[in-house]
Amino acid sequence: MNSFLLIFSLAWRNLWRNKRRTLVILLAIVLGVWAMIVTAAFMRGMIFQMLEDTVDNLAGHVQIHHSQYLDDPVINNSFDPDSHTISRITHDPRVLMWSDRIRLPAVVLSERETTGITMLGVNPARESKISFIGKSVVEGRFLNSSSDTGIVIGQALADKLETRLGKRIVLMSQDINNEIADRGFRIVGIYDAPLDPTEKAFVFVGKETAAKMVGLKGAISEIVLRLHDTDMVTPLVTEMDQLDHTIDVMSWLEVEPYLELMIQMMDTSMFIWYLIVFLAMAFGIINTLLMAVFERTREFGLFQALGQKPRFILFQVWLEAILMIIVGLLAGNFLSWISVMATGDGIDVSVFARGMEMINMSNIIPFVITFNDLMIANITVAVLGMLTGLYPAWRASRLVPADAITRI
Amino acid sequence: MSHRLLQIFSLWLFAGLSCSSQADNAQQLIRQAIDNYRGITSYSEATMTIHRPDWQRVIAMKAWTEGLDKSLVRITAPKKDKDSGSLLLDDNMWSYAPKINRVIKIPSSMSGQSWMGSDFSNNDIARADDIIDNYTHTLLETKNHNGHKLFIIQSVPHEDAPVVWGKEVLQIRDDHVLLEHAFYDQDGILIKKLTTSEIKTISGKTIATTQRMQKADKENEWTEFHSSVIKFNIIIPKNTFTLSNLRNPR
Amino acid sequence: MNHVVQCEKVTKIFEQGLIKVNALTDVDLAIEKAEFICLSGPSGSGKSTLLNMIGGLDTPTSGEVYIDGEEIDELNKSELADLRLHKIGFVFQAYNLIPVLSAQENIEMVMQMQGVSKKERNEKSSAILEEVGLQGMEKRIPPELSGGQQQRVAVARAIVSRPSLVLADEPTANLDSVTANKLIDLMLQMNEIHKTTFIISTHDPMIMQRSKKLVKLHDGRIIDIT
Repeated sequence: MNSFLLIFSLAWRNLWRNKRRTLVILLAIVLGVWAMIVTAAFMRGMIFQMLEDTVDNLAGHVQIHHSQYLDDPVINNSFDPDSHTISRITHDPRVLMWSDRIRLPAVVLSERETTGITMLGVNPARESKISFIGKSVVEGRFLNSSSDTGIVIGQALADKLETRLGKRIVLMSQDINNEIADRGFRIVGIYDAPLDPTEKAFVFVGKETAAKMVGLKGAISEIVLRLHDTDMVTPLVTEMDQLDHTIDVMSWLEVEPYLELMIQMMDTSMFIWYLIVFLAMAFGIINTLLMAVFERTREFGLFQALGQKPRFILFQVWLEAILMIIVGLLAGNFLSWISVMATGDGIDVSVFARGMEMINMSNIIPFVITFNDLMIANITVAVLGMLTGLYPAWRASRLVPADAITRI
Repeated sequence: MSHRLLQIFSLWLFAGLSCSSQADNAQQLIRQAIDNYRGITSYSEATMTIHRPDWQRVIAMKAWTEGLDKSLVRITAPKKDKDSGSLLLDDNMWSYAPKINRVIKIPSSMSGQSWMGSDFSNNDIARADDIIDNYTHTLLETKNHNGHKLFIIQSVPHEDAPVVWGKEVLQIRDDHVLLEHAFYDQDGILIKKLTTSEIKTISGKTIATTQRMQKADKENEWTEFHSSVIKFNIIIPKNTFTLSNLRNPR
Repeated sequence: MNHVVQCEKVTKIFEQGLIKVNALTDVDLAIEKAEFICLSGPSGSGKSTLLNMIGGLDTPTSGEVYIDGEEIDELNKSELADLRLHKIGFVFQAYNLIPVLSAQENIEMVMQMQGVSKKERNEKSSAILEEVGLQGMEKRIPPELSGGQQQRVAVARAIVSRPSLVLADEPTANLDSVTANKLIDLMLQMNEIHKTTFIISTHDPMIMQRSKKLVKLHDGRIIDIT
């Protein structure tokens, strides 16, 4: 204990002996840790935002379709929402909420433009809770009921069609006999989604109105579920997908497989990034400590002459490195915390908006610091940093006392 | 039921309007026009001129119709488009392109695209408008035109009608010639207008032989139809309006 | 055989490339408890090398060195460190103190390594600081002390835990004669009071004069003991 206190105070004081050098290397550690944490938080935020957008963007956590629907999203690939299987799924205690939809490819026509879209016939009460549309109507109103005869379209689509709230537009799709089904709808609401492509892709109409238009009697195209906890998604999907082979139960990860890929890619790239940052840091640590050891050669000889065992010398120098890393980590974490706090809701990347929208991103990226990322960054620096510090410490402990003392 | 194609080619859509004196409202005028048209066959030859500021293209074609539900159009010139054609049966439209030797059913997603590069969309040509049920027709005015009575009818689509226009205004003579068909958006702004510039009497029927579709905001862009030959009540082989006939021009 | 130090045929050969230098040749030396010995000779005569051998900082090429009857050649690095910690005090020519520690901490450092309690350390370090005449300077760090004061602290540190032996390698070389004299006074005084054995290497005639026993070295051999 005595020895440890001695070694500790020696290490601590030696750390501040050459203040400038120590501060420079501390700065390197702090910036390194900051770069690690903030980059991770940004990347995590990006993924988080993408997940949120995906889930919000009509995907939900779990989707139920006719088994052929994803291959061919036509009206005939619909299913009965009142079947035993479906009610078992929607009544599962893990399910927080759900929404049933008639979802069909359609064409929308205005006086001046015609464009392909996806028509969503929804139950407004259920849909507004589960997807972004509930809080995205910026003009007019959302649908009142399943048999509402109005239509809610995105701002970008309204612009493209050169139409606006209160105007009529025509939807054209296929009915159950593969004949053209068309109908005029009055625009009762305009919504604003984070992404233009969403606004251009989806129009919302009442489910009953849609059913009447295309001749569906009770059948629907899709049910999306939101669960209490994302961890429940995979077990629920695995369990429910086996119930009925005509029904396809999928998690949002299957629907958007690139997301899962991105998450994995991010974890790997983050680790590589950590290593790169750390390598730069490690050279600094080794260099500084080796210089310190070289400068203090005589002192280490003296310690040995006074009866200090080599392993204590090793500990002393190593502790110096460890203290440096701990101080750097504390300051780095603090700085990261400040940066994240300072940005509030996230970084507005609208400057890069076009690029971001190409990869389906919103303009605001929140910083998301997860315990895991924080741990990985800190543990990487701590463990590798300590290993790095061992080398100069070992060098110090290997000095031959007679030589060390005679060297001036 | 009516096809716009028929309006374009022969414009006896409102043939029944000869009984206009008996009609007490615009809706009835139109109903009679349509009823009177049922069961009549036709053969015609026409050219379609597509005019743009930089270029102009002339397409020659032959067309057969039977009643309001069946029509076949076959391109005869220019050479690169020869033998391609369109078949309309009820609400559906198919296209045939000899180069790829394929018959394609025009999906609803293509309904907004231009028909043969003209100012008519597939939709204009093919969409089946229930002209009676989808609109509220009002007789705005009755005028005189070269000794004929000219009815000016305003047609406003119903709330759920699959019609994008705010209103359409038709000028129809008592001899069934459609002089003008204007399309307005929902703000009452004119979008495009079909006008008749030549009227002839062929086989005892008075018809518009030259008509032009003009976009309101682009003066240099228009498509003009000119019918050179029209025959009525001819005998059309039974297999004329079939996909295999569309694919195998004689 | 109750010698504090006993050297038997100690030979040390330094190899510098192909050239071999005999730093010490067949040195035999026995030192009793409480002796105050001066090693003298011109530079290169082997004084420092002999002190290093006795202090276990270096090992002889041949021959044996015994400290309190223990052959140091048979000890490993850690045991050597323990031997130095408990039985030997060192005073070097310069840079004796750890620069980041105060005078008192420098003195207590050895006791701290020995595991002496804080209370005892404080008492002993205060007492020794008073003995070496540095009371009031406990908190000063080495740069704030003069060369003579630093060497006094070094002497105080060397004897505070009552080692059998204090080795001083040219302790006065960097001091003026007055200060050097005072340091020798101090060491003699400590030798009297605590019966600590002192071995001092020097080429300062004044120290040679004042020492109780003089060992003269030349070219790595003892040429005279008086």
